[in-house]
This record gives sequence, structure tokens and C-alpha cells, in this order.
Amino acid sequence: MSRYTLTVAVLCTLVLALAILSLSAGPAGIGVIQGLSDMLYGRETIAATIIGQIRLPRMILALLIGGTLGLSGAALQGLVRNPLADPGVLGISGCGALGAVLVFYTGVSTLWAPALPLAALSGAGLATLLLLALTRGGTLVLVLAGAALGSMSAALLALTLNLVPSPYASYEIMHWLMGSLSRASLHDVLIATPGLLVGSALLFSTRRSLDALTLGEDVAQTMGFPLRAVQWRVVLGTALAVGSGVAVAGGIGFVGLVMPHLLRPLAGARPSRLLLPSALGGAALLLAADLFVRLPVSGAELQLGVVTSLIGTPVFFWQVWRLRGRPV
Amino acid sequence: MILQTDTISLTLQGNRLLNDIALDVHPGEVLGLIGPNGAGKSTLLRIMAGLLRPETGRVLLDGQDLFTMPSEQRGRHLAYLPQEAPASVGMTVRDVVTLGRLPHRRTASPEQDAAAVQQALDAVGMSAFADRSSARLSGGERARVLLARALAVQAPILLADEPVAALDPAQALTVMDLFGQYAAQGQAVAVVLHDLALAARFCTRIAVLSQGRLVSIGTPAEVLTDALFAEVYGVAVRRCGEVAVPWSLVSSARRP
Repeated sequence: MSRYTLTVAVLCTLVLALAILSLSAGPAGIGVIQGLSDMLYGRETIAATIIGQIRLPRMILALLIGGTLGLSGAALQGLVRNPLADPGVLGISGCGALGAVLVFYTGVSTLWAPALPLAALSGAGLATLLLLALTRGGTLVLVLAGAALGSMSAALLALTLNLVPSPYASYEIMHWLMGSLSRASLHDVLIATPGLLVGSALLFSTRRSLDALTLGEDVAQTMGFPLRAVQWRVVLGTALAVGSGVAVAGGIGFVGLVMPHLLRPLAGARPSRLLLPSALGGAALLLAADLFVRLPVSGAELQLGVVTSLIGTPVFFWQVWRLRGRPV
Repeated sequence: MILQTDTISLTLQGNRLLNDIALDVHPGEVLGLIGPNGAGKSTLLRIMAGLLRPETGRVLLDGQDLFTMPSEQRGRHLAYLPQEAPASVGMTVRDVVTLGRLPHRRTASPEQDAAAVQQALDAVGMSAFADRSSARLSGGERARVLLARALAVQAPILLADEPVAALDPAQALTVMDLFGQYAAQGQAVAVVLHDLALAARFCTRIAVLSQGRLVSIGTPAEVLTDALFAEVYGVAVRRCGEVAVPWSLVSSARRP
């Protein structure tokens, strides 16, 4: 068995184990299998309600959102050939959250449910386009532009929430900025899943192009991979995947930065080989982080994004440390 | 396959970079593109590779317009070797060369791909380094790996932009020799060169560019005249015997 196959197999097992654990974990001592079978046979028991309404949506969203974050991080890094590219670090998630907040708190999303993911993916898409236009400026410009986008979206998001008459404004700000799955519902799963899946398919479809891009844009182009086409697929895929995730869970950062970094030594340097392991790793990371925040540590539940940021920032520092000597 | 530029011109930001260039590259020949800095050699090669669209005129591949050809098909017909390429961090030499098979991803079998990669590695003398990390290569080794990547495409047309600029004399000779062998197999090579001695020795024909114009095209003996050196490069030539340089480098048996 090659190292790549082994890595994928181990990650698959890990994701499966964490998914089962995610369904089992909670204050109500109910049987997972009992709950699932009750749910499938339409028996209205407490176990079926808890599994179907609370734990299953949470598990599915952690799995899918984590997976797409890991995947979009790996694809973005392949496209801009920069290990610091991540939807959270570059402000793509923040801009998506801003879009979601704008339609959520103006009431548009109650009139037309798809408005929420559409607004989030528009925000994420615009941010990705802007960043792509600036990638030619090199690492420094890319990271500065990402920081500017992140700060701008955070400020505008806070402003919007301060302007809407909500007694829970500060809690809401935290939910959208840091991300959380504590309110995940079946409705959220239905809203987010199409975008998450289509976005992932688009990102996976760029794998050969990303391989070709390691030889430089000119050579990739002469080998039959027009740069514009790759860029559009990554932009659209990232916008769909990140936007749909953000629309229901807020901006969860660093998953896309951490996973490619951790898995590159195992999966190899070819971007195409990194996509699937990164997606699986992202799913595992978010499932684990979501299990962690449910631990009764401080009484109140931690925000999911706090945990991923705590894991992600050391990796971010490490990347910056490695890049320090390079010309910008 | 014949690659032909049909009176192409290009102006970028008000500068006339190329002016009515008409030339062709035939199977079995190494066409050298020479000229002073800023003459438009690399720009011309980029247009021939389909990377830049000319303002007027067409680029034809066996009579078919290069820019209307499906990009995947174009990828199998043309191999382009740029002056510089990003470092492929973490990839082995074989990984990098294997990328050259991407244009054939829908048409070739894994066995054909593996054979082409091995052949390319052998040609540049890098088989022994196949499993080494490409990040740990010297400049010359790296240039040979990138050349092997271009050879692995097995395209009928090979376009190379100053492939020997960073190489020592022994490696430059090896690379030029390879172009000759590639052409001898019935493929066409167009190569941008600064070294006139190498151009004179290894090119079947030479096209001289100056200020975006094609000044002269023909065999080295026809083109590299004293008058041309004076007109294009602004230098005088002191002839020693029949060649423009008083010595010639001969490849030794030792592989660089």
C-alpha cells in the first residue's frame, strides 16, 4: 500500500470514528443506533428527535464544512502557490459572513431562504476575486490584502449587528466572526449542502490544472490548462463551498491552513494528491473541534472558531517563520 | 508538423515589439532565434507557443490557426521550455518530469507515460537522480530536469527560451546536442539563443531579429556575416580561419 493510500485510509477511518462519536456525544444519554432507527422508521421518540434534529445536522455540517474548508485551503494554496492561502486568513470567510449577516438581519432570508447562502457566497466570491487580482503582487500583497479584507468585513459585520435592534448583538457578532455549530438544524443542512457539494466538485475538478501550475503559469497554459479557466473554477468553488458553510456556521478559520500543511509530508507535494487528504483532514479536525467545544469545561460552550484558531495560529506562525528569509 | 508565423505584429503599451514577422519551423530542423537584448525573440517565441496573441497576423500549426485550436490538442503539439520556472518544492525529479505527460492524460496509457518519462530522464542523463528531491539540485541539474519535462511531452514542436543561459559550457553543449537529436527524430525545434557560437554550430537555420523586425533568416553561414554583426549588434568581427570564433568546444566523454 502506498503512503498516499495509507494516509487516505487512516483519515477515512478517523472521520468515520469521529462522526460516530459526534452522534453519541451529548448530555442526553440516548442510544445512537436506537435514535437513528427510530428516526428512519418515523417513530417520534426523544432519541429520534435528539439525533435527527440536533446531533445529526451538527455532525453532517461539521463533516461537510470542515471538509470543504480543508479542500478550499489546499486548492487556494495550489492556485496561488503560497502556503499562507486559507479562506479564513485571507478574509474570504469574513466577507462571506458579512454577506450572510446583511441578508439575515434585514429579514430578506426569511422571505426567501436561498438568499442566505447566496449572499454569503457572493461575499466570499467577491473577496476571492479581489485577492486573485492581487496575487501577482506576491506573498506580501496577498497576505496584506487578506488582512485588510478580514478587518474590513469584521468591522462592517459588527457595525451591522450594532445597528439592528437585537438584545443579543454581541453574542451574534461572536457567532458570525468565530463560527459555531451549536445552533445547527436540519434546515441549515438543506440550505448549505448543495453549495458545499457543488463547490467541492468544482475544486476537485481543478486537480490536474493545479499540478500543471507548479511548473508556472506559462508552462501550464502551453500544456492545455488555460489559467483563466482554473482561476474561475477555484474562485467559484471556494465561493460556493466557503459561502455555504459560512451562511450556517459563521466564519471558521485556519482549517484550510492547517490541513495542507500537516498532510503535505504524507501526501506528497503534488497539489492533486493533497486535495482529498486535506478535505478528509479538515472534516476530522472540525468534527474533533466540535466535540471538544461540547465538553463541559467552563459551563458555557466554547465557540468552534476559537478552537480552530488556537490550533491554527501556531501553524500560521510556523509558515511565517519559514517564509521570513524569502524576498517578497 | 510545421509551425508558421504569418506576418505577425504586436504592440504593447505603445511599443512596437514585433513587426510583420513571417517565418516557419520545419520537422527535422533546429531554428535559432538570435538578436540583441530587446529584439523581440522571447516575445516571438511566446506568440509561437500560444501564450500571447499577435495584434495582426496568424500563427499556424500545419495550416490550422493555433489560437482557435482546442487547448488540450495544442498542449500535445507544442512543448514550451521557459527561461525560468518556479521551484517544485517537495517533488522528486521523476514527479516533475511526469508533469510533462499531463497533455496526454486522456490519450496515453500509464505504460506509455512511464516509458516517455524514462526516455526523457535518460536523454538528459538524470535517471540516477530520478528519486531525488528536485529542491536539492544544482542550477544545471535543475535546467536539465525542466528540459526533460518538456521532452516528456513528446510534442512535434519544441520551443525553448534561452535554455543554456544558466549552464556551464559542458552542460550547454549537452543540451544543444539534445536539441539536435530531437530534431533528427523528425521533430521541430525553435530555440532563443544569445551564444552565437552555439547557434552557428547547432542550428540548422538562424533567424535574426532586431528591434522587432526579422532582419535575416537562413543557414548560419548565410546569416552570420560581418555586415550583419555590424548592423545588428554594432560589433566588428575578426575572423580567424573560417569560423567566427578561433576555437570550438567539443563535448568530452564525461557527462556533466
